[in-house]
Amino acid sequence: MNLDEMMKDKRIPQSLVFEDHFQLNKDDLYNVLSIALSKGGDFSEIFLEYKNYNLIHMEEDIIKETAESISLGLGIRVLSGEKTGYGYTNDLSFDKIKKAALTAASITASPSLKTVSSLISSKIEHDYYSLLIPPQTESLEKKISLVKRTYSAAQNSGEKIKKVKASLQDQIQYLTIVNSEGLMISDVRPMIRLSCVAIAEEREKREFGFFGSGGRVGMEYFSEELKPEEIGSKAAEEALHLLEAVEAPAGEMPVILAPGHSGVLIHEAVGHLLEADFNRKKTSIFWDKMGKRVGSPQINIYDDPTIPHFRGSYNIDDEGTIPQKTPLIEKGTVKGLLQDRLSAKLMKRPLTGHGRRQDYTHIPLPRMSNTYIDQGEYNPEEIIKSVERGFYAQKYQGGQVEDSGKFTFSVSSGYLVEEGKLTAPVKQATLIGSNIDILEKIEMVGSDLKFGLQTGTCGKEGQEAPVTDGCPTIKIAKMTVGGLK
Amino acid sequence: MKKKRPHLADLAEELIVLGKKEGADEMEVSIIDGYEFRADIRFGEIENLLEAGPRYLSIRVIKDQKTAYVTSSDLSLETLQYLLKKSIQRAILANPDEFGGLPPLSLQKNDPECLKLHDPEILELPPEKKITLAKDTEKIALQDKRITNSHGANFETNEIKFILANSNGFLDEYEQTLCSLSLGLQAGETDSRVEDYWFSSKRHFHELDTAEEVALRAVERTVRQLNPRKIKTQKVPVVFESLMTSWLLGFLFSCVSGVSIYQKTSFLVDRLGKRIGNEKVTVFDDGLLPGKLGSKPFDSEGMPCQKTPVVERGILKNYLCNTYAARKLRLKSTGNAAGASVGPHNFYLQPGDHTPEEIIASVDKGLMLIRTLGHGLNPITGDISRGAFGMWIEKGEIAYPVSEITISGNLGNILNQIQMVGNDLNFYTPLAGPTIKIQELTVAGQ
Repeated sequence: MNLDEMMKDKRIPQSLVFEDHFQLNKDDLYNVLSIALSKGGDFSEIFLEYKNYNLIHMEEDIIKETAESISLGLGIRVLSGEKTGYGYTNDLSFDKIKKAALTAASITASPSLKTVSSLISSKIEHDYYSLLIPPQTESLEKKISLVKRTYSAAQNSGEKIKKVKASLQDQIQYLTIVNSEGLMISDVRPMIRLSCVAIAEEREKREFGFFGSGGRVGMEYFSEELKPEEIGSKAAEEALHLLEAVEAPAGEMPVILAPGHSGVLIHEAVGHLLEADFNRKKTSIFWDKMGKRVGSPQINIYDDPTIPHFRGSYNIDDEGTIPQKTPLIEKGTVKGLLQDRLSAKLMKRPLTGHGRRQDYTHIPLPRMSNTYIDQGEYNPEEIIKSVERGFYAQKYQGGQVEDSGKFTFSVSSGYLVEEGKLTAPVKQATLIGSNIDILEKIEMVGSDLKFGLQTGTCGKEGQEAPVTDGCPTIKIAKMTVGGLK
Repeated sequence: MKKKRPHLADLAEELIVLGKKEGADEMEVSIIDGYEFRADIRFGEIENLLEAGPRYLSIRVIKDQKTAYVTSSDLSLETLQYLLKKSIQRAILANPDEFGGLPPLSLQKNDPECLKLHDPEILELPPEKKITLAKDTEKIALQDKRITNSHGANFETNEIKFILANSNGFLDEYEQTLCSLSLGLQAGETDSRVEDYWFSSKRHFHELDTAEEVALRAVERTVRQLNPRKIKTQKVPVVFESLMTSWLLGFLFSCVSGVSIYQKTSFLVDRLGKRIGNEKVTVFDDGLLPGKLGSKPFDSEGMPCQKTPVVERGILKNYLCNTYAARKLRLKSTGNAAGASVGPHNFYLQPGDHTPEEIIASVDKGLMLIRTLGHGLNPITGDISRGAFGMWIEKGEIAYPVSEITISGNLGNILNQIQMVGNDLNFYTPLAGPTIKIQELTVAGQ
């Protein structure tokens, strides 16, 4: 049976897929783990990965390109105290694997040798991405038709729409993790992303809109949950809306965060700085604030990798740990950190299942999955009414934070708030601040928690990871808005 | 450590023959054969040590003017054959595009030897020496009492061999090396911390800045931000430090990329031959500067790299194109193909006569921009809106650091408002610019 057929056959156990393709059985893996510990490390691990990615891209009214990508390889990690040794290879001859193991082993030279426990296969407890039609089994014709429907919906949204791009990306990732503690566990993670960019033009003005959806879902998502037409027309709507937008105001003012997309602010301003590595190293502003109050008791922030079908979810993290919904801030008090194995061990804290990596070429790091601020009690209309003059931030291009807590968000669209009402649409503004300051200034948390688009990717130390963010309507008493006016 | 792998070029040629047999009209195969080493040091100890020799292969297949792409890290012939067959089936289902296809075989060739891309010394550096270099860098910085925490020092080396073959008869390869040393620091107490970093990145080990140079620069850049003040929202002249000019050039590149132009996602559409900036603006993209980070003999589809004038004394001279964008725009390829898109080589603003000190001295009241944070660039309009850090300038002198500000402006306006250009063009990165002074930007604060 060839690889492709094998991957499609759900009856074959996942571990066998690897055994067949890597031609590595349990004994081989055990031997590699032992070689990796042969210089005296505390812990060794092999991360085996096979990924198949497909892209269909439509532009200028034609299916312009399709692409397929196979990524296959393994990474070997050795931990010794605070040190990490890492080697990886995509050449799966035993010689090359052994060399990678020795590279990782070279991090230490200690006389006390640990032995590898015998490998016991464990099963995944919950499947957060059960689906009907795996993307790789869908015919190319059907996938193309989804892209065309998305494209046409945007294009037919009015004469001002001058350009459309639509694309469908799907991916299936098979991974197996074995380690010197005897863990042997596998997962198969699907991912789909259907997205659209529309550009609207009027006189000399040109603006663009984006919309997309997907997650760890099957192809049935686009017939049951969300029609491709909706993705196309929402991208066009945004571009048309921005044609009417005025320049953003500048200066300090009350800011209302719209529900959903504003979750990126929580992700950047709070989530990153509660990743365990930054606190272990004391570079995060939160390192000395565990158990301390940092904001209003209305604030509850969680990271939950177990929300079914979400882009940021997983059955096991990239170190084989079963993930948990993890409280970060509860009632305004710092409650927890996102842990990977290394930080949890060094900090003597329990694992939370947040060790993630971009692929086999990278070392795992503590990362977010689906991060959100939980809903509060205020009616969103009441929140808007409470603002005399301010800024309503609705959609974002992205954000960035540094460990000192200073952050920036680029708002692509929003509204002016005047006398308790949303008035003129506003484009291109920047929100800046420092996180402790903003947490203190959160005045009202709305009752309308929503999640942003299932298209987000977070970057950390050069590694990308799919994530989702969520947020209800929130009022921040004062924030610096950077605009032209 | 390093082994000769002569069979990779043979593999590329074999795949071209196979693809043609399967029905492809045109075929392009590229292979990257890499070696990477990285040591991260923090507080004198190794934090991470990584070494690997990855390889990647990419294929472009064209059938009946329809294109399909393949990439794989599995270089077994069985997998590649299977992917190749599937790609031809996929191409059949795509739409014909008259602008697609390979470039014709170019007669001109650049000699990789003259470009000085490869330094054998880097490959022979013993790991201990690389680790010590990073350790020394951090140690020097930590001797300064104002430094309160370290993000760590890092030394890494890369060797990359690029092999390209296509069905028009192109077959060539070149080798390049890279080494870089960097250090990130924090200063101040937990609730009022500031941070920054510095680095040196070169193709040749002997050109790399010393541990001391990198350390002292990182310290200086970090501590100068201590005790920042907030400022009122105002319009003032803004001095861009060299790295900030590089950042601005990155944005300009995305607006003169032929892909953005034919896609109409740039504010510079239909501006060829027109004035887009003042007399002080001259920008080149040069793939042939010996030893520089952005140099290479040929681009990712085998077109020879060249020196292309992009803006001359304010007039837009060329868009940067791969073969596809060039055909769409009825222009010529500038040898800027990078994968399926367009990338810069050494893309730089021509330096002027002023020292950075003279430029600062010319400002009565204004901001020197030292760092930006976040996104907030819109190539369609040229609008810029970013979180920023800077040094406030009063009466020609640096007065104090400022934080929690944003700068807003428009690239089109900025190019017309460059008043002074510095003489400090250092190719820290392939996108490079000297210090510049902009007449006026909105700086938003309190």
